[in-house]
Amino acid sequence: MAQKTTPVLSQQLLLSVAEELKLPLLQIAREAERGELGGQTDVQSIRVAADSALRLLDNYALGVRLALEPAAELMPESVSVSSILYDTGQQLDALAKSYGVALELNIGGRFGPVLAHRQGLQAALVSLGAALIEALPAQDSPQLKLQLATHRSRYGIVAGLYANTKLLSNEALRRGRALQHRSRQPLLDLTHTSGAGIFVADAILQAMRLNLRASRHHRLYGLGTVLQPSKQIQLV
Amino acid sequence: MAQILLIEPDRRLAETYAQALQTDGHRVRSAAGAQAAISAADAATPDLIILELQLVEHSGIEFLYELRSYTDWQHIPVIVHTQVPPGEFDGSRGLLEDELGVRSYLYKPRTSLRRLLAETRQLTAVTT
Repeated sequence: MAQKTTPVLSQQLLLSVAEELKLPLLQIAREAERGELGGQTDVQSIRVAADSALRLLDNYALGVRLALEPAAELMPESVSVSSILYDTGQQLDALAKSYGVALELNIGGRFGPVLAHRQGLQAALVSLGAALIEALPAQDSPQLKLQLATHRSRYGIVAGLYANTKLLSNEALRRGRALQHRSRQPLLDLTHTSGAGIFVADAILQAMRLNLRASRHHRLYGLGTVLQPSKQIQLV
Repeated sequence: MAQILLIEPDRRLAETYAQALQTDGHRVRSAAGAQAAISAADAATPDLIILELQLVEHSGIEFLYELRSYTDWQHIPVIVHTQVPPGEFDGSRGLLEDELGVRSYLYKPRTSLRRLLAETRQLTAVTT
């Protein structure tokens, strides 16, 4: 179990979010200006960029609220991890299309319910997924694929996002957390940005006493979190 | 018509900039990272390079060192068009301009498309 901390309140994370927000705002501003200069503005691209900025702000705010909640308010409930992954996929679909990343859902295994704070887990996975979708095209790897998947490990049920290109090792993740306020690119091997989406996911999971970790799923590389199975019987 | 090599890691921004440059009469090839950019330059020497310094794995500075290590590419003009504020490069502006041949340093959040297109026109008019 991760220690209860309040990293979401850190100035480092706020700085990281502020840096990250420049990207969708730049996309909107320059695409709009292209229209002013006589080109045909891609309205859908502007909408996806605006959604991206709103999503980051929303998830950051949720992380702050969760970190401020008394522990009793964060009691995990019995939730279906498949349904959370499905909803995550729905929320990320337009962004993935706009970045040319094939988003897949792999929830074929039969898993019972897990114990989690539904809203928090969903927000962490969406934040993580959005950050990975935006980062992957810079990897110079053709036919990029990102899979939302779950599998059983000896520690519990792992829910995460997996790509057909290397993402981050646990060591790179640890180094990135330490470098957050000292480097413009603390996750240099993965992204050209501040990596705020990943750090926001990390902070939300920590607020729920969960860990973001490197993980493998079949031949894919990923990041995910381990959840404990719920004893509650799942009603079908 | 000038050949521009646009090195931009964000796919969506790359599309916007590439379309604007094309509308302005240039031919544009895009690369998301340093390795792809070297391959693109190898395939056809560009008249101008527009470079983001924040890349994945290899930085824009590393790319510039590699670029300038080849005789054929030593004189290609480079516009640095980056999210790194100019203040963070105070100590190495000399390095960028004198040693690595950077002709212009544009801070992306404060640089309009108009300005980027104007700089591009100016530098390609000299070289083509």
